[in-house]
Amino acid sequence: MSKYLGLFVSEATEHLEGLGSDLVTLERGGGAEAVDSMFRHAHSVKGMAASMGFEPIAVMAHRVEDVVAALRQDPTLQSRERVDLLLSAADVMLAQVKCASEGTSLPAGEAVLQQLSELVQKLTGAAPEHTRVADAGVPAPSNGPPAEAPLPAALPPTPEVITVARPVSGERGAQKSELGLPPRFNVRVQILPSCRVPGVRGFLVYKKLSSLGNVFNLRPALEELKAGRIPEGKISLELETSEPEAAVRQALGNVSEVELSSLALLAAQASAAPHAPPTAQPASEGGPSATAVTARTVRVRTELLDHFLDTVGEMLLATARLKEMGRTLPEPHRAPMEEGVYRLHALVKDLHGKVMTARMTPLSVITDRLPRAARDIARKRGRDVDLVITGAEIELDRVILEDLADPLLHMLRNSIDHGIESPEDRVAAGKSAQGRVLVSIKRVRDRVVVEIEDDGRGMNAKRLKEVAVERGLFTAEAAERMTDREAFLISCLPGVTTAKNVSEISGRGVGMDSVKRTVENVGGTLEIESELGKGTRFTLRLPLTVAVVHLLLVGVATEVYGLPIAKVVGAMEAPSSALSRSRETLMLPHGNQLVPVHWLGDLLELNHAPARDTHPYVILEVDGGPVALAVDTLLGQEEVVLKALSQPLDLVSGLAGVTILGNGRPIFILDVPRLLSP
Amino acid sequence: MAKRVLVVDDAIFMRNMIRDIFASGGFEVVGEATHGIEAIQKYKELKPDLTTMDIVMPYKSGIEATREIIKFDSKAVVVICSALGQESLVMEAIEAGAADFIVKPFRAEDVLAVVKKVMGEG
Repeated sequence: MSKYLGLFVSEATEHLEGLGSDLVTLERGGGAEAVDSMFRHAHSVKGMAASMGFEPIAVMAHRVEDVVAALRQDPTLQSRERVDLLLSAADVMLAQVKCASEGTSLPAGEAVLQQLSELVQKLTGAAPEHTRVADAGVPAPSNGPPAEAPLPAALPPTPEVITVARPVSGERGAQKSELGLPPRFNVRVQILPSCRVPGVRGFLVYKKLSSLGNVFNLRPALEELKAGRIPEGKISLELETSEPEAAVRQALGNVSEVELSSLALLAAQASAAPHAPPTAQPASEGGPSATAVTARTVRVRTELLDHFLDTVGEMLLATARLKEMGRTLPEPHRAPMEEGVYRLHALVKDLHGKVMTARMTPLSVITDRLPRAARDIARKRGRDVDLVITGAEIELDRVILEDLADPLLHMLRNSIDHGIESPEDRVAAGKSAQGRVLVSIKRVRDRVVVEIEDDGRGMNAKRLKEVAVERGLFTAEAAERMTDREAFLISCLPGVTTAKNVSEISGRGVGMDSVKRTVENVGGTLEIESELGKGTRFTLRLPLTVAVVHLLLVGVATEVYGLPIAKVVGAMEAPSSALSRSRETLMLPHGNQLVPVHWLGDLLELNHAPARDTHPYVILEVDGGPVALAVDTLLGQEEVVLKALSQPLDLVSGLAGVTILGNGRPIFILDVPRLLSP
Repeated sequence: MAKRVLVVDDAIFMRNMIRDIFASGGFEVVGEATHGIEAIQKYKELKPDLTTMDIVMPYKSGIEATREIIKFDSKAVVVICSALGQESLVMEAIEAGAADFIVKPFRAEDVLAVVKKVMGEG
């Protein structure tokens, strides 16, 4: 079972989050569609949990399903309290799933369960049904698999546990076929006992069927089959093919010594049910619109994507190494080698781009939970807030998204908690009683701009300055010179944001410093605009992807600099005696050529005196050919996130950017070609 | 019309035996080949409905010959004749495109059953 746990956790979490946001939609006037979607989420969770043997989750999901079923029949039964209860149930189940993922025992959530049971009793007039974790609860759908169809391999290892999901698989199965997913057949074949070479027979069956389409879940596995280890001569497999059933029959009909025991069309849904092996299609009960998309996607663990990126990075480095080796080859071999390496490099670069694309994820992944959060915060604080989110379909690198989730929630909390006034205050100020928070996401060239805007009380620049001066962060003169915009950023200073009085004055509370830091760490910027009495707008400008660069770190005098490794063709140590002089320039022999030498310390106008005779040299490729940079020490390689320089540092020639090393030290990344140009 | 058969085997004994079996089953043996190269050449020349193919033969094996025949005519029906103990070679031949196989030693009715089935008459 453990091998399905990861899949269960990720899918169940998605369903439960979906359930939560549907509930919020429902409360805001979402109709039958939201209820249907809720039903599907609850039902899927029930089925999955039952398959996994997580009884508390299955039981809770079952109750939720019962309540939703009642709401489905009679929408007038919906009330705020009932939505609250269902939300609590979703939260309990999320907590249970989390425990399941950590291998700890599941909380029963008795209070919520009790209330749900009472509600079911009240709504349906009957005691809640027993949730059968160990048995099927729903009859097989009409075009679903026949009773004998599920493969042993596709069943959960505990045979008595059978999923209860798939209420609508009949219509969904048909839908999927229309969407172009080829139908899947369950095929069972018996090799006759008279056959002298069952292995070859079985292999022939396999070949015949694979010529029609794709074979899945072959039992016994191919190697066993070929070796003739076929228990009782029985072979089973799933065949995904666009050919008609008659073609499948005919293909097997032409083979001697075998009998077709059964041939059944599987509903597409059946293969996507949660108990299917992880290699099968993703489950797709996420809602009607998800169906079309998931039909052509596969679920990939995010660590795998990270691993891809790492590997592709390594490949880039290895290619660079090959390129350097190619240079040292004697003439007749050099050109073909260089040509090959060039092609390899182009391919690896292309692959790198593709991997980056695969990591792009829509912002909806993190904005989908905002409505629920907004509702909770607003209720707790006695606010009435309308949250509008636009542009959530825009995509960002997954790494940035993950980092952004908390800051976004934080800013939303601040906006509602401190920005939006109570309904009475709002009316008194001549505003509508309901406050508004707008989260808008836009793509502006190579950046994604996220704005969180409220129509609340705004921030008081003057008071912020005063507090900053009181706390000794700025002198009164410095504060005086600050623009309002700069003053708003005071709320992002660590010493200020935790101060209670500032939180009260500014309306901007705890944690803005961490928001700003997170945004800047991924290479983005944060701006705050605010007008007293009118509202506040946070603007995040984010890069589409994290600009990850590999650096060679070098030390000169007491400084550390990063050189982009893509430009580095080699590094070596050499004594002064190895250098030769060509007119004014020192030359270093490298490979079969002489490379001009530059002292990095001189180029950077550092005050240093090379003390030793032997120095490390870094050979870099620049437009005019290779150059050697003499440094004091080679410190190693590091993969870092490149950050653009802001004014006025961006005016300094020779600096490509800045980054912070793993040890926290900020360093400049050098733009060597510009450094060398006079 | 009787189905036309090409028999490929390096042993004259086997060729004769197979020819007799086919004759008894109402097939017409239109040609014989003693090795892989000849098999390909005869196939192109005769376009038989069915080819029986030995595996271990001089010059070119039955596996190679099958592969080239299928390449020439993807609809070609090639049935492998092999001895017991040659399973992995037969599987190779199946990979190469053989439609079915017969294991030596064989009885007449077994051979006819296999070929009729593979021709869609069984």
